[in-house]
Amino acid sequence: MKLKKVLALVLALAMVLALAACGGDDKKPDGDQPSNGSQTGEPSTPSEPSEPSGSGADVSSLNVGVFYYNYSDVYISTVRAELDKQLDSLGVKYTDYDGNTTQSTQMDQVNTAITNGANLLIVNIVENSSPDAAQNVINAAKEKDIPVIFFNRDFDKSAINSYEKCAFVGTDPAEAGHMQGKMIADYLLANYEATDLNGDGAISYVMFKGQEGNVEAEYRTQFSVEDANTQLTGAGKKELTYYAGDSAATKYLVDPNGAWSSAAATNYMDTVLAEYSEGNNNMVELVICNNDDMAMGAISSLQTAGYNNGSGKTIPVFGVDAVQNAKDAIAAGSMTGTVAQDAVGMASSIVKLLNNFVADGNLMSNTDGMVVDGDSAKIRVPYAAYLG
Amino acid sequence: MSKESKDLAAKAQWDSKRVLSLVVNNALMIIMIIAAIAIAIVNPNFVSASSIVNIISQTAAYLPAALGIAGCIVLTGTDLSAGRAVGLTACISASLLQVAGSASKMWPNIGTLPIPVVILIAMAIGAVIGAFNGFFVGKFKLHPFIVTLGTQLILYTILLLYVKMGNNGGMAISNLDESYNSFVKGSILPKIAGQTIPNYVIFAILLTALMWFIWNKTTFGKNMFALGSNEEAARVSGVNVLMTTIMVFSLAGAMYGFTGFIEGARIGSNTANTGLNYELDAIAACVIGGVSFVGGIGKISGIVIGVLMLRLIFIGLTMANINQDLQYLIKGGIILFACALDMRKYLVKK
Repeated sequence: MKLKKVLALVLALAMVLALAACGGDDKKPDGDQPSNGSQTGEPSTPSEPSEPSGSGADVSSLNVGVFYYNYSDVYISTVRAELDKQLDSLGVKYTDYDGNTTQSTQMDQVNTAITNGANLLIVNIVENSSPDAAQNVINAAKEKDIPVIFFNRDFDKSAINSYEKCAFVGTDPAEAGHMQGKMIADYLLANYEATDLNGDGAISYVMFKGQEGNVEAEYRTQFSVEDANTQLTGAGKKELTYYAGDSAATKYLVDPNGAWSSAAATNYMDTVLAEYSEGNNNMVELVICNNDDMAMGAISSLQTAGYNNGSGKTIPVFGVDAVQNAKDAIAAGSMTGTVAQDAVGMASSIVKLLNNFVADGNLMSNTDGMVVDGDSAKIRVPYAAYLG
Repeated sequence: MSKESKDLAAKAQWDSKRVLSLVVNNALMIIMIIAAIAIAIVNPNFVSASSIVNIISQTAAYLPAALGIAGCIVLTGTDLSAGRAVGLTACISASLLQVAGSASKMWPNIGTLPIPVVILIAMAIGAVIGAFNGFFVGKFKLHPFIVTLGTQLILYTILLLYVKMGNNGGMAISNLDESYNSFVKGSILPKIAGQTIPNYVIFAILLTALMWFIWNKTTFGKNMFALGSNEEAARVSGVNVLMTTIMVFSLAGAMYGFTGFIEGARIGSNTANTGLNYELDAIAACVIGGVSFVGGIGKISGIVIGVLMLRLIFIGLTMANINQDLQYLIKGGIILFACALDMRKYLVKK
């Protein structure tokens, strides 16, 4: 029977993959806690997933599934590296999954992990414009009484409040925008004359948006300009003007692939600079980006046009994330500022919740030194301005 | 309809038949010119020297990948692995050409390599990927769609693993050496109308000439077209099908490698996302330019027009401040229109 053969092949493949996954897990050092030395060698027998919900559960009894929305996201990669490190040093057994920006893929992964005996989920939800996707994950977890820690991508609190064994670790999505706005206004007020290249008393800007419909992207796009304007007008200066004028369909340029990518920013910036230059007396005087990768792309284009080479004229470029190459660019003088998203803080907050759960079965039992929302179990890791 | 009007219509049709066929055969060019004029009316800056240089530069950046993929389409195939191949070679090129001694250098023990070496490495890696595709297509008679769907995924894993290697840890690869930047983005040409023309435009022109030569003047090129039109006939007349297939795909791969090398410096910040969806743009450019999925049909000049057309849409819509949501609609419409037109010509021939 052909079907049988195919089935056998698929099963064999699945087994190979499962083995590979287990192999990956075994790499973790079983050093500091001798008690779990025997546990690590064992194959992942799907123990009753509802078991460790009580207090006093051992760290080694945990089987954690960590679901990332996209492996290729630079900031998420840093969180992953940090979280992997911290979980390794705790001696926790865990498996990482790549949602590859597709919510249905992630949901399948969650269900598979639960049937495979995962007893704690750490989820970086893909679809966060409505809480429905998160609610689906919560419902699946609720059925087996498994705790869920969401992180990074925020959604409406109704989902979090529907299940007591669930919490969110993230940032305040509006905060990065506010911080970027303040940083921009501070910079402009200190360097107004130098920035205003055509001397018309107003600063023209271009805005690169990472993606449509993403809470963080929306807020960053909105608040960075709004806050900067409030502060500028307060100091008696004109508001920022969009480079293409008020008639533009949108006051931002968005990555056509929704990938927050540097390539999109480079292509746009090349196009903008072809039309707006000092020669035409309408040069773009400020570049605001939703993330650092887009900032790097814009800088690459500016450099081709002879700006931002460290010396000579520099158009201020602002990003968010403070990834390493942005820090390098700020040090080299080709970029002006960014907002640091604390990857280490994010990872250690997640691990703290995990430890809380292990100690007494309550994720939120010890939140000392953390910023928690008043109306839901949402922890906010603070952003920080980074100017080098 | 009355008799007179019918007659009138028939007459008019006959009179305009020649004009009509002329219009239909060059419809794409005409649309492109009309679109360009329309955008130029909305925004006169569109036809300024700097804007034209920008259009040419962006066309040049996307051209090599399209030139490569066109060969696969001539063989009635396609290549979905192009984007990831570009991403991988971009990351590899960038990682080998970072500023020596910088803290975030991916391979601190390898100094900054000479540029020709890196170009060769990138093109060789691309060619190996292509040869792999071509082998599966030629040897096992799998459809290239399936083969490259597979390799595309495999390459993504390699890419994800690569950006985590060395000192990098998943970060974007940037901080590129000045020699690399100036080689790609600098200019050896004198300024034309006050505009600098980046070097990668020259590379694209050279590659286009080279590809034109390969397609039209070599046995390999003739074999490729023969194989694309009718495999059985080609085999009977002594074309080595497996070898030709492998060579077409590795030539395409080498082109992706070169694109990767250019993109590495042009974008300046390389992640696992680099190259995403490049294959779709390249395939779209080819079909718009008349490289037919029927096989055995295609011209280098058509590919150049196809790539130019896609860049015109991107740049034109940005400069005309049209809502960007419409970009996909226009792209999709043009692809459908171009292919329908193409098939019409083919059906007439038949």
